[in-house]
Amino acid sequence: MVSALHYHKTFLQGVRIIAALIGLAGGTVPRAAAADVEAQLDRDTVSVGAGARLTLKITGGKAGQPEIPAVENLIVEPRGKSQNYQWINGQSSSSITYNYVVGSNEPGDYQIPAIEVAVDGQKLTTRPLRLKVLGAAASHPPTGLPPNGQAAPAAGGEAEDTSGKRFGFLTVELVDYDRKHVYVGEIAPVCIQAWLPADARVQLRSGVQPEGKGFTLHNVSAQPQQTHEIKDGKRYLVVTWYGGISATKAGKYPAALSVDATVAVRDQSARPPQRRRTGSPFDDPFFDNIFDDMNAAVIQKEVTLKSDDQEIEVRALPAAGRPAGFTGAVGDFKIESAAIPSNWKTGEPQQITARLSGTGNFALMNAPEITPADGWKTYPNKGEFTAGDVASFSGTKSFQLSAVPRQGGAREAALAFSFFDPNIGAYKTVTSPVQKIQVAGEDIVDAPPAPEPIAKEPENTAGNLVAQHLLLTRRASLVPLVARPAFAKMLGLTAALGALGLLGAWLRRRLGDPQRRARAAMEQATRVALQAAARCAAANDVPGFFAAARLALQQRLGLLWNQPAAAITLAEILARLPEDSPVVRLFREADLHAYCPPTTGDFQPDWQPLLQEALATLTPSAR
Amino acid sequence: MSSPLLPSLCALLLGCAPLGAGPVDAFGAANRQFQAGDFAGAAASYEQILAADGPRAAVLYDLGNSYQRLGKYGPAILAYERARLLTPRDPDLLANLALAHKAAAAFDEPGPNPRLEVVLTYLSRNEWSWLVAGSALALGSLALLAGVARLPRPGLRQAAVVVAGLATLALLAGGTALYLRRAEANLGIVLTDAATVRLSPFAQAEALGTPGPGRLVHLGTRQGHFYYIEIPGANLRGWLARKDVAAVTPERDQNPVTANERK
Repeated sequence: MVSALHYHKTFLQGVRIIAALIGLAGGTVPRAAAADVEAQLDRDTVSVGAGARLTLKITGGKAGQPEIPAVENLIVEPRGKSQNYQWINGQSSSSITYNYVVGSNEPGDYQIPAIEVAVDGQKLTTRPLRLKVLGAAASHPPTGLPPNGQAAPAAGGEAEDTSGKRFGFLTVELVDYDRKHVYVGEIAPVCIQAWLPADARVQLRSGVQPEGKGFTLHNVSAQPQQTHEIKDGKRYLVVTWYGGISATKAGKYPAALSVDATVAVRDQSARPPQRRRTGSPFDDPFFDNIFDDMNAAVIQKEVTLKSDDQEIEVRALPAAGRPAGFTGAVGDFKIESAAIPSNWKTGEPQQITARLSGTGNFALMNAPEITPADGWKTYPNKGEFTAGDVASFSGTKSFQLSAVPRQGGAREAALAFSFFDPNIGAYKTVTSPVQKIQVAGEDIVDAPPAPEPIAKEPENTAGNLVAQHLLLTRRASLVPLVARPAFAKMLGLTAALGALGLLGAWLRRRLGDPQRRARAAMEQATRVALQAAARCAAANDVPGFFAAARLALQQRLGLLWNQPAAAITLAEILARLPEDSPVVRLFREADLHAYCPPTTGDFQPDWQPLLQEALATLTPSAR
Repeated sequence: MSSPLLPSLCALLLGCAPLGAGPVDAFGAANRQFQAGDFAGAAASYEQILAADGPRAAVLYDLGNSYQRLGKYGPAILAYERARLLTPRDPDLLANLALAHKAAAAFDEPGPNPRLEVVLTYLSRNEWSWLVAGSALALGSLALLAGVARLPRPGLRQAAVVVAGLATLALLAGGTALYLRRAEANLGIVLTDAATVRLSPFAQAEALGTPGPGRLVHLGTRQGHFYYIEIPGANLRGWLARKDVAAVTPERDQNPVTANERK
């Protein structure tokens, strides 16, 4: 154990020496065209216990270690430096940036005096900086600093988090609003921010989702912005969306939104206890944190980041002062352009185009109206909206109105649009420049009230109606046969009848086939002849056997060769079959016994097999 | 053979049913109401006859007349269109239907080929169906006869060939007509003045237009109390409340809205 600690300590010292060498190297700045020193705060207001990042950038020369002037109650903690070299077209340039965290435990306005830096023997100074420390927040030290400015956790380091926000949280804020309320129908632009630990690995599993029913979320930006920010002494990766929320009912509703994310953070509870400081220049908590963080275990968790239930008051639109032409538009709008034709004719429609721009709820915006409205009939369309920002909060909307003049003569016309301005809490009516127009034709006089029913009085057609049918016809189905199951059954029956007909035709053709019938007759005759031959063989009737055998062979050969059986002779057979064919041999034997019978006259046992062999050779290939 | 089998068979073959005594009396009473000027009462009586006894061309025609006298052109055109399914060439019916269309300003869009439409609509879809089915049965019977009995006489064989040719022609013509008129299975009639086509099937949805009573529409899918409809030639499509529209062929609407619901 002792050995391990010794090794760890030696290793840390080595790292510190390397860092010192890098620092020395950083001090050697190549010559540049002009030396410059610039100091900058990343914010000018912090709360008590929180810190602002001070960067001191030295360019174009060899600089010494800058010294930040001491200010009472102002805590300044170095946060390292970075070096940058550039070599462009043979010209070298370099810069060193020193980082500090500045804050205080006492609220007030602080001024950081001009910082003096020696660059190439020349003393350069920065401009003074101002930092306002607010007292509202809890009295935490600035980044990395405990109360009294003693040893502290490093930037981004987490103290024990008991707030339940270890894996991040969500905030919703009205953007650029001096007021803390919105009006019914107003789309209020909001900034939604997911604050995630800077050293965590984060994967967002959803977009921004509304949690309650009080508000509706509109046009949340698809590509959120990512920045790193420090809040309450902690570094965060901040994912920012912009969008709008609106409500349809008055009241106080929580602006509760949520985002699903998978967050992996290092388990800081597993850190080793704080080391005792030796006071050396490299004995900095920064180095502790690097190795502690590397050795810490990672905890991964699927979390739903929810915004604090920040209540937003929704006020109803006032009834007082509501213009007659108000149709629900809430925002701040103006008429960009209005084109009203100069010449009209009563009863004939023409198009009027108008373009309105501004910020607000364009979805509830209807077309402007012609003023004075007397003598006009208009047919507005829905309009075409062109967004001016990612949240569609500002933009322009173009309308085309079809208008029909009903009164002739020279007149003046303009377009008017009424809306509720939530910033002043009152209704406004904007009007386009008045145009002089000429309407030709006579005035159109309105018909008496409810002209439509009068036009549809039954008397108009009653006289022409053909009389009633007095004879009751048969009852029938309104459903056509094609839509009834019977239709399919009929078609099925038809198919069955056709199939039966085809089957009958096939059977008839098969039964009436002459070749088939001849084959059947031959088979029958052959069977009879073979039965006769068998009987003759049994009775030792040699002439009878050969006569029957010849007949059987003739029948089969006649079918094969398509000739009458009686026309099959030995000469015919010899012309078609080889000499050693069993058919030839049997025919020769039969002729021998027919025309020159042997004296013995006994039946030879090999004749019967010869007949079978001869019949077996007479296959269709014997043709 | 004195059983009701023969009339039933006749009815099955002709697609109709024999007359009954009850409907005749009710029909006469309804006609008397009409002649007395009680058109609303007559319409109610005709509706009762249809509900109790089923569709009859004369009842539907007289019902259409009653509604037309009342100025209810949507139900009038619906009744006429249903009557036209049964008697497509009735000149009285066609004349009164034209009057109703004119009074309601509900004009059907003419098709691209009027002559073809005249031919196609000369017969009702039911008649075309019977032509197709009869032709198919004739062809099947001839096939069976020729296959089994062979038709030995030359004259008989020639007659069979002629009949088969005519049946084939009728089959093709009927099949084509039914195919071209297949969309009529989904026709509906807008019933009320206030019928509003909406963007989505909800009563509070954005209104797209009002087609007017008597307008012929194509009925699409049904969702809840709404039909998705399309108006031929008007490029207007959307959702229409079921109480505001009725299918011409009732089988399209398995659960039709009752008269009470419609009111």
